[in-house]
This record gives sequence, C-alpha cells and structure tokens, in this order.
Amino acid sequence: MEYLIQQVVNALSVGSEYALLALGLAIVFSIIGLVNFAHGELITVAGYSIFFAAAIYLPSPWLALPIAVLGAMLAAILFERVAFRAIRNASTNTGILTAFGVSIVVQNAFVIFVATRPKPVATPEWLSSMLEVGTLQLPVLQIVETLVTVVAILALAVLLRRTTIGLAMRAAAKDFIAVRLMGIKANRVILAAFAISGFLAGLAAVFIISRRGAIDPFMGSVPVLKAFVACVLGGLGSLQGAVVGGIALGVLEVLLQAFLPREVTMFRDAIVFAAVAIVLVKFPEGLLGRKHELGDKEA
Amino acid sequence: MNLLLRTGINAVLPIGILVLLGSAILAFAEPYQVRVAYAFFMNLVIAIGLQVFMGNTGVVSFGHVSFMGISAYAVSLLTIPLALKKTLIPKAPFELATVHVGIVPAIVLALLFTALVAWLSGMVLKRVGGAAAEILTLALLVISFVVFNAWIDLTRGPRSLYGIPVVSSLPWAMAAAAVAIFVAKLFRDSDGGLQLRASSENLLAARAMGVPVESLRLRAWVISAVLVGVGGILHATYLGTIGPNSYYFTQTFLIMAMVILGGMRSVSGTIVGTALISVGSEAARSLENGPVIFGSKLPEMFGLTGFFLGTVIVLCMTLRRDGILGDDEFEDIVRQRRMRKTEAAAAAGVAAS
Amino acid sequence: MLELSNIVVQYGMVKAVRNVSLTVGKGEIVALLGPNGAGKTTLVSAAVGILPVAAGNIRFDGADITKRPAESVVAMGLTLTPEGRRVFAELSVADNLTLGAATRKDRAGVAEDIDRYLKMFPILGERYHQVAKTLSGGEQQMLAVARSLMSRPKLLMLDEPSLGLAPRIVERIFELMIDLRKSGLTMLVVEQNATEALGIADRGYIMASGQVVYEGNAAEMVDSEDLMEAYLGAGVH
Repeated sequence: MEYLIQQVVNALSVGSEYALLALGLAIVFSIIGLVNFAHGELITVAGYSIFFAAAIYLPSPWLALPIAVLGAMLAAILFERVAFRAIRNASTNTGILTAFGVSIVVQNAFVIFVATRPKPVATPEWLSSMLEVGTLQLPVLQIVETLVTVVAILALAVLLRRTTIGLAMRAAAKDFIAVRLMGIKANRVILAAFAISGFLAGLAAVFIISRRGAIDPFMGSVPVLKAFVACVLGGLGSLQGAVVGGIALGVLEVLLQAFLPREVTMFRDAIVFAAVAIVLVKFPEGLLGRKHELGDKEA
Repeated sequence: MNLLLRTGINAVLPIGILVLLGSAILAFAEPYQVRVAYAFFMNLVIAIGLQVFMGNTGVVSFGHVSFMGISAYAVSLLTIPLALKKTLIPKAPFELATVHVGIVPAIVLALLFTALVAWLSGMVLKRVGGAAAEILTLALLVISFVVFNAWIDLTRGPRSLYGIPVVSSLPWAMAAAAVAIFVAKLFRDSDGGLQLRASSENLLAARAMGVPVESLRLRAWVISAVLVGVGGILHATYLGTIGPNSYYFTQTFLIMAMVILGGMRSVSGTIVGTALISVGSEAARSLENGPVIFGSKLPEMFGLTGFFLGTVIVLCMTLRRDGILGDDEFEDIVRQRRMRKTEAAAAAGVAAS
Repeated sequence: MLELSNIVVQYGMVKAVRNVSLTVGKGEIVALLGPNGAGKTTLVSAAVGILPVAAGNIRFDGADITKRPAESVVAMGLTLTPEGRRVFAELSVADNLTLGAATRKDRAGVAEDIDRYLKMFPILGERYHQVAKTLSGGEQQMLAVARSLMSRPKLLMLDEPSLGLAPRIVERIFELMIDLRKSGLTMLVVEQNATEALGIADRGYIMASGQVVYEGNAAEMVDSEDLMEAYLGAGVH
C-alpha cells in the first residue's frame, strides 16, 4: 500500500513535469503553428542561469528559483526575436528544422563556453528532503512539483479567460488576422505566448534540476521529446490536451517502471512509445482532439 | 516521353557531377579525404532515402535512421565470422550464432528484412497523417534504439558489434548514391509520386480525385526505408563495427537537416543540402581539433561543429524558408534560366524593331 | 477622410488590384460594388493593413498609413468588419466584445458601450455568455459589427455584411447602417447586393477585374439601368 502511494505521488510529479513542458509547447503551437523543439533548451538555460548566478554571487538558494524562471523566460523571448520571428507563417517543417537549429546552437554554445561535463547545481535543500506522514515517506520535491503545477495551470486558465491578452491568445489560436483587426499587436500576442512557455519551462526546470542535482548542455533534449509526445497524445494545439497528455505519459512511465518485471524494465521506453503509437492510431487527433472529417467547415 | 528515359536524362547531370567529383577524389586525394567523401556519399544515400518519404508525403520522419540500424545489424549478424560470434553473442536467438552467409546474400537478406519491417510499420503508419504520423515515426526510432540497446543477446547492447567484413569502398558508395538519386527522381516523377505530392498539398482534393493515398504512402515508406537501409549497409561494411548510438537522434537530425535545408520537395535540394552540411561539418571539425594557422596551434574548441551546423540551419531557414532550392530540381532551374533568356531576347527584339 | 491613391496589390505575379483610387469623406456612406473576384475584399484588406500594397498611397485622417500594420491602423480609428464575419467562435459574446475594445484604456467607457450595443442588438444581450459559434449567421454578423464598433472607429469598413443572410436580416443590417450614420459614423460598405447598398449610400464605386470602372452619385447609379445591367448584372432585381 505504501509502495503504491509512493508510486502514485511519483507518477503525478513526473506527469506534472511533462504537463508543464507540454503546455509551453502547446501554447506556442496553438498560436503560430511552431513545434518548438528548442523548448528543451529553455530548461538548460534555466539551469545555467542558476549555475552562473551561483558562480558570481547567490546569497540564498531560494533565489535560484526566480533566476531559473527569469532565465527561461528571457531565453524564450530571445529565441522568438532572433529566429522564429523570421519564419512566421512558414511551413511546419521549416519551423521544426529552425527550432532544431536553435537547439543545437544553444547546446553547443554551452559546450564551447562552459563544458560538456555535468556541473553540480544547488537548489534549496528542503526540496530534496522527505515528508513523513505516519510510516509513509514522501519526497517533498514530488509533492511541491505537483502542487506548483496545479497552481500554475489554474493561474494560466485565469489568465486566458480573464485578461485581454489571454483572450487575444485564445482568439489568435483560431484566427490571427481577426485578432489584429481588433487593434491587438501580433508581436505582443506572440511574445506573451513565448513568455508563458518560458515561465512554465522555468518552473519545470527547477524541479528537473533539483532531481538531477547537476546540469549539462544536453539536458533539455529528452524532456522536450516527452513534451512533444504528450502534446500529440493529448491533441496537438489543445492546452487541456497537453495537460492530459503530459500526466498520462508520466503516469504510464512511472507505473511501467514500478510494476514491470525487472528483466523487461530495460524495454520500458519502447513499451511506452508503442502504447502511445497505438493510442494515436486509434485517435489520430489525440485523446482530447476533436475528430473532424476532412473538409468540415471550421466553425 | 517515356518516364524512365526522361528521369534518366534528368538524372545525368547530378549523377555525372557526383561521379566526376568522386573519381577525382579517388585519383588524387589522401585517405582522410577519401573517408570524408565516403561519409558524404553514404549520407547522401540516406538523405535521399528520407527525401523519398518526406518530400512526397510532406510528413516529417524521425524514424528512418532505424532502418539504417536494422539493415546494418542484419548484415552484421549474418556476416560476422562464426568464431567471433561465439565470443560476442554466444546466446544469439534464432540460431544466429551459428549462421553465416556470404556478403552478397547477406546484403540481399538484410534489405529484404528491412523492407519487411518497413512494410509492417507502414501498414500502421499509412493510416494516419500529420503530427500523429510524426510521433509514430518517433516511436519507431525510440523502439528500435531500445531494442538495439537492450536485446543484448542479439546485438551485444551498447557495446559495439565488430568483425563485420570491410568490403565497401568509395566506388560502392558512389554507385549506391547514383542508384538512389535515380530511384528517388523516378518515384518523384511517377504518377504515384505526383499524386502523393498533390495529396500532401490538399488531402481532401486528392482523395476526391480517387488518389489511393494510403497505398502510395506505404509505397513511399518502403522504398525510402530500403534506400536508407542501403545506407546502413554502407555504414556497417565500411567501418566493420557498429553500435546503437550511430542510429539515433544525432544521425536523425543530421540527415533531416540535409533534406530540409536544400528544399525538402526536391531531390536536387537534398544533394545540395547534403553537400553543404557535409563540407561545413568537416571544416568545423578540423577547427574543433585546434588547427595550426600561421605556425601556431589554436586551442581545441569542442562543440564548434554543432554550433556551426545549428547556425547554418537557422540562417538558411530564416533567409530561405522553403530550403535552398525550394521545390525545384536542377533541370527546372536550367529550364527557367533558359526561358528567362529567351524572354529577354524576345523583349530585346521587340525593343529593336 | 480615407484616401486611396493608385493602389496596386499583388498576389505573387498576379495583380488583384490595379491602380485603384477611392475616397471616403467624413460622414459619408460609400458603397464599393462589383462581382466576385473584382478585388473589393483585397482592396479593403490592403486599406486596413492586412495585405501589403505594392504601389500607391493610403491616407487616413490626414496621416500616411500606407505601410502601417493592421493593429496600428485600427488603433487610429479605421476598422474593418471582415468578410465572413470571423467572430471568435470559441469565445463568448462578452469576450468577443471585450477584445473589440482591446485598444481602449477607458474601462468605464467600454462598459457604457457594451450596454449601448446590447440595447442596439438585444439578441447579443440574451446570448451574452454563450460561445459565439452557437449564434446564427445573422447574430454572428451583429456580433461582428458590434465588436468592430467597440473600438470606437471613425470609419468602419464592412465587407459583405449581408453575405449568406436571410432577406429579413439583410434588411435589418442596412437599417442598422442608417442608424450608425445618424450617430456620425463614416462607412465604406463592400456589397454584391448593389441595389440595397446604393439605397443607403451617398456615393458608389464599381470594381471589375481589379480596377474601378465607374464612380458616381449613388442615387444616379441606381437609376441608370444600363450601368446596373452592364456591371452588376445579378445585382438588379
């Protein structure tokens, strides 16, 4: 029973991490149709922001959190300004390749200017402590991660429903020209989308880094793939889908890890991807994607 | 005009240039440069293989490099000497530890096996398009990588498999590239290729005209997988040793960049993209090792290759979003230039009269 | 108030609008007529800054807006209600109206305007919290117009406001335009419904194949049967 609870908490925290990242991907995709494979590098930038800050002066490990989030947000905005603005309205494939390009440049910039080897990074100690409930031991990190994710998703929902820029982002996902006809600047909407994706990636980065205790130039590549899978699993472009897909993927991974026989755990990722593939053959538009026939009119 | 003949004529120019280039390298170059040229031709075969699928269906595939791995492992498992197999993979399933065939039947068997895997995966893949299809190809890549890594009895896992007879050389790679170019152009210009490209522009309209989209997708998938498989064989039989990491994301991105950079819908674009990235990476790699310039050795700069590659990709895409050649083949460019010339001449004639 | 001079708009090699000049004076209703594919939508899209102009000059309220993007043109008071309405289908009527007022800072004024337009379009009040895609075509057109009005435009361009609507609703839309003119709004109306449009307009332009082929007084245009026959064919009832 205890083992089960521990695994469920673990599954929720991994699912939360994927959900945060997938949301960031989805919000950008929904507005400009870009699958931002450089999203993973936002995590890396967040990690190196903490690393550099610590190298210069970091009076309290608490400050690592805002620094990580700020670093990721600034990086997201910078990517948009330098690379993605020039390919607006280009095909999806152009977007994918450009994003790969950005990702490779950032990774190798850290290789050139810092090092390939992992660097240790400190996050607040309490994050790596254990919470004891009776005989049950739960990692604080996992609980905080899940709670923070819930709060972030709720805050995002409020932003998208209650603020003009939020409404504009939802509207732009369907009809960007009509949004501009309201006098709303396209650049501002896109900037907001990237800033939010950076914010969410920064949050996720704090937890990823706390879990690993170290950073390296390539640390973003696996998480972004998971996030991409989560997005498509939930329904590409749908924000609810990103959350559902992220949590589903995380739960699937952790449960397989926990309950598969030992000799099969090496094949875990293959099983996860096979499962995702089966779901997508059944539901090509994703779990939450609206099934529409070709030629249906967009409402 | 007959399709075969027309494709043959159109393929003469790129193949001719490549063969000349390769022959010059064979005749004059040093071993290091021959190795670089071999890598170029091998990557060209793989990139063109990928282009057959991506260029005609418009679907990005992350999965093709697994066909490279599958054929490489298949040919290796059939040709590594039995004595060596006993120490490398004594417990290989399907009696593979005791099977040994000649290199030619091994290659044929490896390609047939690759085609079989492609056909099976294609039966699933053909049913979906768009992002779902892309994730399916990604799943293929991850699954094959996991199998290469985790099925230790068969593949020796992350430790390399070695002892594969080194039978390939630059002329073989050149020949394979020539065949690949011809096949890719033939498919592109065939009725099926045209219909498939049309369906990637407007699926509904193509379906309404009765284009059998699924079966064409499957055909493109299998043809491209076999071409990529040829690349895998070139890889294994040149190096003599293979490991799972050669058939994963690094190689996937490299090949994908070659295809998209030059212009995904054009075979000629893939040739240009492959050349650009091969030459560029090689130049950056020599810088990375700390080159000697004016008698002083510069410091080593790891990461320069990747940095260069990324920068070139971003620059190319932001300046020419549809790739360097866009949708055009070499012959289209020649024809357009000729048309412009005749137009200019006609205009000059009008002005003079 | 709005002056388009020698406008050229290209799609690739094709010139969709060729050397068109058109003016709208303060307080006027101007009708822009012509068959499908004449370039009317292209022209108004270029005027508002959605499409780039290849040549020519656009002035609005004394300022050169030729190169301005749509968002800044709208902020200056030149708004377009686009063809096909293009309401934000997934958003509520309330949110659609809020977005219409995105350029405004005066919250009190915005609330006042919402009240006013809910009175003008009672149906929108009834459906205030419904998502826009549940509205009928006519209701969506009302919403699209109200949404445009929320930015307090000085000049409103309406692209095919009657397209695909039942005759009774078309009538209602034209009555609405008369009301709006009384309140001092200047309008440019793109229509295929020539007779109705000229009925409320002061002046009219007829476009064909990307060019203005006729311009004149609206009343005279309705009376000239030859003209209506020649250029507007189906527009005559």
